[in-house]
Amino acid sequence: MDIKKTNHDNSLIVGISGKIDTASAPKFEQELKNSINDCTELIFDFAEVEYISSAGLRVLLSAQKTMNRQGSMKLINVRKNVMGIFEVTGFTNILNIE
Amino acid sequence: MVKKFGLKLGGLQQKILNLVLVFLLALMTIFAGVSFYQVTTLDTVVDDASREQQDAIGKVSDDTMHQVIGNSMIKTNALQAYIADDMFSDVKTDVATLQSLATELFEHMDSFEPYPFALPDPAKDGEFSAQVIFEDGVDYTKSEYLGIAAHMSDTMIAMCEQSGYLDNCFIGLADGTHLCVDDQSANKYDENGVLLSFPVRERPWYTSAANAGELWFSGVEADTYTGKIGVECSAPVYKDGELVAVVGADLFLDSMGDYVKAASNQGGYISVINNEGKVIFAAEGNGIFTVETSDNARDMRADENKELAEFISRALTEQTGLTSVNVNGKEYYIAGSPMNTVGWAVISFIEKEITEQPAQIMMSEYDRINDNAAGKFNEAMAYLQQTTLVMIGVLLVLGVVTALFVAGRIVKPIEHMTKRIDEISGTDLAFEMDDSYRTGDEIEVLAQAFSTLSKRTINYIEQITRITAEKERIGAELELATRIQADMLPNIFPPFPERTDFDIYATMTPAKEVGGDFYDFFLIDENHLGMVMADVSGKGVPAALFMMMAKILVNNFAMMGGSPAKVLEQTNAQICKNNDEEMFVTVWFGVLDIKTGRITAANAGHEYPIIKKANGEFEIFKDKHGFVVGGMDGMRYKDYEFTLEKGGTLFLYTDGVPEATNADNELFGTERMLASLNAEPQADPKTLLGNMKRSVDEFVGDAPQFDDLTMLGVKLL
Repeated sequence: MDIKKTNHDNSLIVGISGKIDTASAPKFEQELKNSINDCTELIFDFAEVEYISSAGLRVLLSAQKTMNRQGSMKLINVRKNVMGIFEVTGFTNILNIE
Repeated sequence: MVKKFGLKLGGLQQKILNLVLVFLLALMTIFAGVSFYQVTTLDTVVDDASREQQDAIGKVSDDTMHQVIGNSMIKTNALQAYIADDMFSDVKTDVATLQSLATELFEHMDSFEPYPFALPDPAKDGEFSAQVIFEDGVDYTKSEYLGIAAHMSDTMIAMCEQSGYLDNCFIGLADGTHLCVDDQSANKYDENGVLLSFPVRERPWYTSAANAGELWFSGVEADTYTGKIGVECSAPVYKDGELVAVVGADLFLDSMGDYVKAASNQGGYISVINNEGKVIFAAEGNGIFTVETSDNARDMRADENKELAEFISRALTEQTGLTSVNVNGKEYYIAGSPMNTVGWAVISFIEKEITEQPAQIMMSEYDRINDNAAGKFNEAMAYLQQTTLVMIGVLLVLGVVTALFVAGRIVKPIEHMTKRIDEISGTDLAFEMDDSYRTGDEIEVLAQAFSTLSKRTINYIEQITRITAEKERIGAELELATRIQADMLPNIFPPFPERTDFDIYATMTPAKEVGGDFYDFFLIDENHLGMVMADVSGKGVPAALFMMMAKILVNNFAMMGGSPAKVLEQTNAQICKNNDEEMFVTVWFGVLDIKTGRITAANAGHEYPIIKKANGEFEIFKDKHGFVVGGMDGMRYKDYEFTLEKGGTLFLYTDGVPEATNADNELFGTERMLASLNAEPQADPKTLLGNMKRSVDEFVGDAPQFDDLTMLGVKLL
């Protein structure tokens, strides 16, 4: 998994590529923790995300909760299979997916 | 490193030795170069100095000799010329006296009585006496002049006696008679006692003086009686313009010859040349001048040797300086002084070679000393070379020994250290400082570093041991936890042996020691079977703990009799109260009415269930999904219902099954899952689960699994 972060004022675009699974989720979580403190708009670009496991979902949930307090969060370019996972797990109910 | 003679080839010791040897060799090369240069320079200097000295000595001695010889020769020659001239001057005076006496007597002969005269008396031989001799056929008794001339007898005797160099004096008369004074009276007679005749008027001194009309010196003549070489001086006597007599004296050159001989003894010669350039006197074997009687004598002024001829001409008129001439290939120093009285010249000469003898002797002596010195110098040099060689040898040996000793001192602690380090193994890990390492240099630092490293290593090993023990303990505990977790799940099959109306089977294969998946089933009452399939986000112990909590909560709320949606809502509420870790769990919970096959279920973010109708195939049942449990407080879930026919089967699973990944990164997927189930659709749950496990394993191959594999199958009979 690779993470690419782009900052625009208080908005942060996080581009992720590869798999967000049990092995890579801790890194994903750490990267987010380090960068979203002053962030009011968090955008995840999921164009390159092949798969997300429950550990990854947990990170997204955690980020969503944080952003609920300080601004907004959305996911863009989500692939079909990943979208399936979101649907199955009910994450489509709480995430803002465009 | 090969060890030879106690020296490790290629080792530090050898390197130090090499260094010392290279240094020594360099030192010696420089030393040898400098020495060679010095010796060469010294040799050259000594040679040059020697040559210069020789040249200087030669030149100085040449100059000195030339000066000394020049001075002495010129002076001596001048003196000799003076003396000789004085001699001749005396003779000249004597002869002139006789001439004037005779002239006086003959002019006034009338006034004198004849004086007595006598024939030679042999008894008087050896003493000066007046003797009358005459030409053949002349009667001396008839001579009218003889008596007059006899008046001079006593004067002439006195003259001869007083003069140191006059041998005789005489007066020859024009009438053929002759009165002479000498000490050779006996010689006037032949062996028979007959008086020898004396051809007065034929004698050269007579004729020459008569012809010259004035005082005349003869050349060198042999004396009539003695045969000795002499010079005659004569002068004519006239009476009334008529020649009446010739007076004269003989000068034997004995006295002058003594000078010449004395001079000859020292290698020099004296010679006398007369006014006609003829050699009057010369020592025998002198190399230049040969005495000949007047008749044979050559004029030296016209000699073939121009140099000599020119010199002779000059010497007859003036005092010459020291001149150098070459005669018959030999160099001579020559000096000449004129004798003014007779117009002759005295010539002194000496072979240059002889004058150079002292210089040559000095030179050869110098050479000898020089050779001696050079010999000593060479000896000293040879000795110095030997000494140097010995010194070099000693230096080499000392250098090698010192280098070996020093190198040994350096190497020994290192070897000791190496040995000790080699020995380190197992529990013997301590490298301790030893006195032999306290060298005060890098070795001590190295040893200290080793010691520190050894201590650190020991500490580290202890730490590792501790950590390993800890890990092992944790591992053991994890294994225990896994067992406890497994024990928590219903795992005795068949679980309800007395029930023949349904068959249920479930498995969980954790990816790690402790998984986050769980299944559960329990009879809520006689007719209702609760079934749970859940997947906790994350892995390991936290997931396991969370799973236990979720399992107990679901079980508890289910047993309290609420609908599945209600149970999930209650569980969610309970979990969200204390969920700082933001963990969540996907849960499918359904309650089966065993008699009717009616299933009421709620899905909190879990995978779709798979259902098979009695005679149909397994198909995915896309149910209504709610959000995961524990994700968000206050979530609502919805119940839904479906019917499981008799002979139908419900298959529940976690995402570990469809998301199992092979080496090519392909997911197992729902298609393969369905294919596996449909391969044997009528099989009992245990077989179905076994088939599924095999299919997944075959698909995955050697690729590592990250997710748990949890399945539950229930079939209505």
